[in-house]
Amino acid sequence: MRVLRLIGIGTLMHFKTMSRGLFEIATGLIVPIIQATMAVYLLRAGDEPQNMVKAAVGAGLMGIWSSVIFGSGGAIQRQRWQGTLEMMVIAPRPLALSVLPVTIATGLQGLYTMAATLGWGWLLFGIVPDFSHPLLFLVAVPACVIGLGMFGLLLASTFVLMRNANAVCNTLEYPIWLLSGMLVPLTVLPDWTNPFAAILPTTWGARAVHEAASGGAVWPSVAACLAISAACFAAGALMMSYVERRARASATLALS
Amino acid sequence: MRLIFVGGAIAYRALFNWTTPSMFIGTLLVGPVFQLLFFAYLGRQLGVANDGFYIVGNAVLAASALCLFGGTMAVSNERRYSTLSNVLLSPRSRTLIFLGRALPYAGNGLLVATFTLVVGKFLLNMSVPGTAWFGLILTLAAASLSAAFFGLVLGSIGLRFRDVWLISNSMVAVMILLSGTTVPRENLPAALRAIGDFLPLTHAAAAARELAGGETLANVLPGLGLEVAIGAGYAIIAAVLLKIFEYESRRTASLDTL
Amino acid sequence: MTDYAIEAAGLRRTYRSRTGWLRPKVKEVEAVKGVSFTVAKGELFGLLGPNGAGKTTTIKMLNTLLIPTGGHARIFGKDVVAETREVRQRIGYVFGGDRGLYDRLSGLDNLRYFAELYGIPPREQKQRIGELLELVNLTGRERERVEGYSRGMRQRLHIARGLLHRPSVLFLDEPSIGVDPVAARDLRRTVADLAATGTTVLLTTHYMAEADELCDRIAVIAQGELKALGTPEELKHHADGRTVLEVEAYGLEDETFKDIKNLHGVREATLETQGAVQLLTVQSVSDVDVQPSVLARLGGIRLGRVAARQPTLEDAYVAIVAGDRS
Repeated sequence: MRVLRLIGIGTLMHFKTMSRGLFEIATGLIVPIIQATMAVYLLRAGDEPQNMVKAAVGAGLMGIWSSVIFGSGGAIQRQRWQGTLEMMVIAPRPLALSVLPVTIATGLQGLYTMAATLGWGWLLFGIVPDFSHPLLFLVAVPACVIGLGMFGLLLASTFVLMRNANAVCNTLEYPIWLLSGMLVPLTVLPDWTNPFAAILPTTWGARAVHEAASGGAVWPSVAACLAISAACFAAGALMMSYVERRARASATLALS
Repeated sequence: MRLIFVGGAIAYRALFNWTTPSMFIGTLLVGPVFQLLFFAYLGRQLGVANDGFYIVGNAVLAASALCLFGGTMAVSNERRYSTLSNVLLSPRSRTLIFLGRALPYAGNGLLVATFTLVVGKFLLNMSVPGTAWFGLILTLAAASLSAAFFGLVLGSIGLRFRDVWLISNSMVAVMILLSGTTVPRENLPAALRAIGDFLPLTHAAAAARELAGGETLANVLPGLGLEVAIGAGYAIIAAVLLKIFEYESRRTASLDTL
Repeated sequence: MTDYAIEAAGLRRTYRSRTGWLRPKVKEVEAVKGVSFTVAKGELFGLLGPNGAGKTTTIKMLNTLLIPTGGHARIFGKDVVAETREVRQRIGYVFGGDRGLYDRLSGLDNLRYFAELYGIPPREQKQRIGELLELVNLTGRERERVEGYSRGMRQRLHIARGLLHRPSVLFLDEPSIGVDPVAARDLRRTVADLAATGTTVLLTTHYMAEADELCDRIAVIAQGELKALGTPEELKHHADGRTVLEVEAYGLEDETFKDIKNLHGVREATLETQGAVQLLTVQSVSDVDVQPSVLARLGGIRLGRVAARQPTLEDAYVAIVAGDRS
């Protein structure tokens, strides 16, 4: 119960901090809108101009992932700068529990993105978000956010150790977009990538959201996403305690 | 002239000193390759264009983000590390100093773009005529340079507005959309196409595709010339903006604080 | 159960830094070279030393943020490396400067967040936060964002944060840095009150007056080594048998200053610039009157006040820190 409360309040506080920066909000809105526009033009140019909802939802999913990957990296870096990373470490809770709210909050921020791309598509291109399962969409998206947040924790453990964490983020944006089938269906990828895709929680989260939007059995994907995410969280927690020890030994927690 | 090159090289090393060789490979070389794969597969799936379109387009694009961020960094990091006032107090030509700062980033961009092109060619089995390589590298160089100067313009704007990275981030996305590197330009509305005409990369991407398709260098020279002209235009704009903002910030004493 | 709140035995810490890009060279710096001391329960213990002496490194080894490269330390008998969680439940950490808080959140939100991190039961939180806001005199300002706080307010919020879980040991790392004199006085009163209620406090500072006023015992640390340890009174004996001469000068050259340092009978000399005035402090052996020879060296330089006085803790500190260097 206390753990849930910690995660809840922690997420709320980190979400508040992030939502008060013009930079974070604008980055979360502008770039995905441009990406959504791109997706729309690409889809129109292609052989399959009918499935426009997929473009808007896909761009929104890409935005959530960008938010998690850049947000977690940026947030850890910012905490290092402002000295609060040490404060999190020195608290008697396992570090994973203090950092998880950060990554979940970045996922929540991605919700702006989803809303923005859907709204943009509707306003500018007349793409009506007539989802197959509107209610399940409201289940699938939060599940996807939690999943990505837990996956983000696993990645964040490396950010604690490395001072230039953000640089690593740049490389992880496109691979996950590609491998999780957020915009490009997995069927076009070479077969050897399938096992990788299958173990990524992002794949199942994206699938659940796409299924809710365009039709399909949503629940199995939601379940798979949450199950893999839980495993990611467990692995992330182990990594985090290892990394914390490493960071204390190599003195990378503070900037000075 | 020496001032441009030596000053630029030293500043570049200083600003990039946070990276280690493995980070360099990881972030600067691997990233663009994944971007290329993403768009190539997207193109395949949608039947928009063939792999060649994306390989060449994304090689040109690989130069852009790097040069754009580099140009921005060239100016804005000086301020972040509070070295800007020192630079502005230097008696040498400030314009040359800053234009020089953009050069190493352009060189870096060329390196990454060439790498992306070669890797893309082998990963997706694209055939490029052997005679085209010289022209292609020349084109990538022109694209890198004009993107770096464009970045310098953004960096100069950053002297006046705080969240310059927001502008740079958005611009990278805009370039993906409008420069014809990923979305075939004939599919864009006329207004967006017109904006693309004035962005860096657009003409270089077109020229590079023609070269890869077997066109001779002589025939793509006009396009290449346009790219260089656009780059020069941005260099001039950057120089003018720097002068204006420098004057203004000296008047209002907002150099390091704003 | 041990009688000590803090035990440090032979603590060492080296930092490795990598320089060079293609062929990295590893450089090792020994920041703390074997420091040992004990702090009794309820004691207010000062760690005094110049910047870069190893104070912060020492404190971070004691509060679990850094793993010592050598030696060991215990907080209430719990090992800082092996029993990290137990140690963390018992300690609070407050450092000086602007950092360590969430600027975009209100003071209250900061406290609520850290109350969760410390697992303070929800029922107690509200009351505890109210008490602490009262203690650090921030009641009424708690809903404002921290980015609008003054240095002194931030520092007080920091202290409230450090006390949320009623730690038995409080580490205060340069708490008065950059705080105005009035705020610094309030801060000292708060610290003194805490110690009076039984909290063990380990304070690092380079302000002598602060250490003199507050601390039961002081350890002087310089170049990573413990140079002296004792009550303020005991430390003052390090300057026994000395007399101090203070001269205000305008335009004293480095050369002349060096000459003065080498005069017969002079033990230490420091030169401090305060605006246009330079304050020359010369410590000498009591039985040699250095005043005439010092003034002779200063011939031709405009002088202000000249005074001889008995040594203070500050002079003792200079003697301890500088004495070893020569």
